[in-house]
Amino acid sequence: MSDRVPGPTTSGTGSGTGSGTGSGTGGTAARRVTIAVTLAVVVALIGSAKPARADVTTECDFLEISAKTGAKPAIDGELQRVEKKLKKPPFSTWNQFKLLSHTKKTLAKKKPEPVGLKIGAATATLVEIVDKSKVRLTITMDDEKGKQVANNTATVEAGDYVIFVHELANNDGHLLSLTCN
Amino acid sequence: MTRPSTASTDLELMEHADGELTDGELAARIERDPEARAKLASIEQVGALVRGHLELSADAVPDAKLAAMWRRIDEQLVAPTTGLWSRVMAWFDRYRGHVITGAVSAGAVAALALILRPSAPDGGVPGRAGGAISAVPVALRATPEIDALETPGGSSTVINLDDEDGHTTVIWVTPADTVEGI
Repeated sequence: MSDRVPGPTTSGTGSGTGSGTGSGTGGTAARRVTIAVTLAVVVALIGSAKPARADVTTECDFLEISAKTGAKPAIDGELQRVEKKLKKPPFSTWNQFKLLSHTKKTLAKKKPEPVGLKIGAATATLVEIVDKSKVRLTITMDDEKGKQVANNTATVEAGDYVIFVHELANNDGHLLSLTCN
Repeated sequence: MTRPSTASTDLELMEHADGELTDGELAARIERDPEARAKLASIEQVGALVRGHLELSADAVPDAKLAAMWRRIDEQLVAPTTGLWSRVMAWFDRYRGHVITGAVSAGAVAALALILRPSAPDGGVPGRAGGAISAVPVALRATPEIDALETPGGSSTVINLDDEDGHTTVIWVTPADTVEGI
């Protein structure tokens, strides 16, 4: 029975554990904190990394408008956003404006996007985004015969408008308005 | 060193209780002596009590402490590893808790970074549904710039209009046949 009493063993382990763990705990905690901080920083850096520039896009609104001169002024209700502009020169040449088509397109950088028109066709390409608030766009516009009317690259602020006006032979107008956000 | 032949001594009884003395004569003597039998029973009871207490004390030692003790013993017993992979695995075994703590902390930080990442787009990166650019107030907007303009088969006029909604650039294309009055 006396052999099983762990008197000396217990006291030996106790003192050994006490001193060993005491100094080891400080080192262990420091190592643990170091590893945790290192991993945290690495993951945080990876997590906050910016996506590739290939993701650059902008959303543009295209309004195709027919412009005529008639007895009574008339502007489609759907053209409310540009109504004020249409009432002023040089658009006041006409007094009747009808919305032919309304297209919303998300443009990806350097990817030409066809814009469906009732008369002719158009394409829009986002060249780049400038200063976080401007877009550089290339717009091409063809008439109903497929002949190019305009090929334009312009830099405009978000919310501003570019309006293409194609004068037709009968003095009517074919307008393409665009704004991006 | 004479031992009484008629009565068993306390030492003999203790040795007998511990199984250290297995003398047939002693057993017979104890059998005959009621006082010795009572003493032996008491000794056995005390022994059982002490053993029970020690076992309970051993059970009361926290598992973590025991695990740490065994780990230290294992570390001393296991021969030092030589291969790189073995050393890596040995390191991982030793610091598994640290790595897990680090991974959990890193996950928490990454989640915070993702949640707190500014939603405003930077350099054209989409930060919200829809457009990637942010409109500035009308008063601060720059005048549109025409970088290139071609109007095959016609002439063009560029007009810049300003109003409270901002700038409007009008690109007026007049076909050549219209100009020539054909």
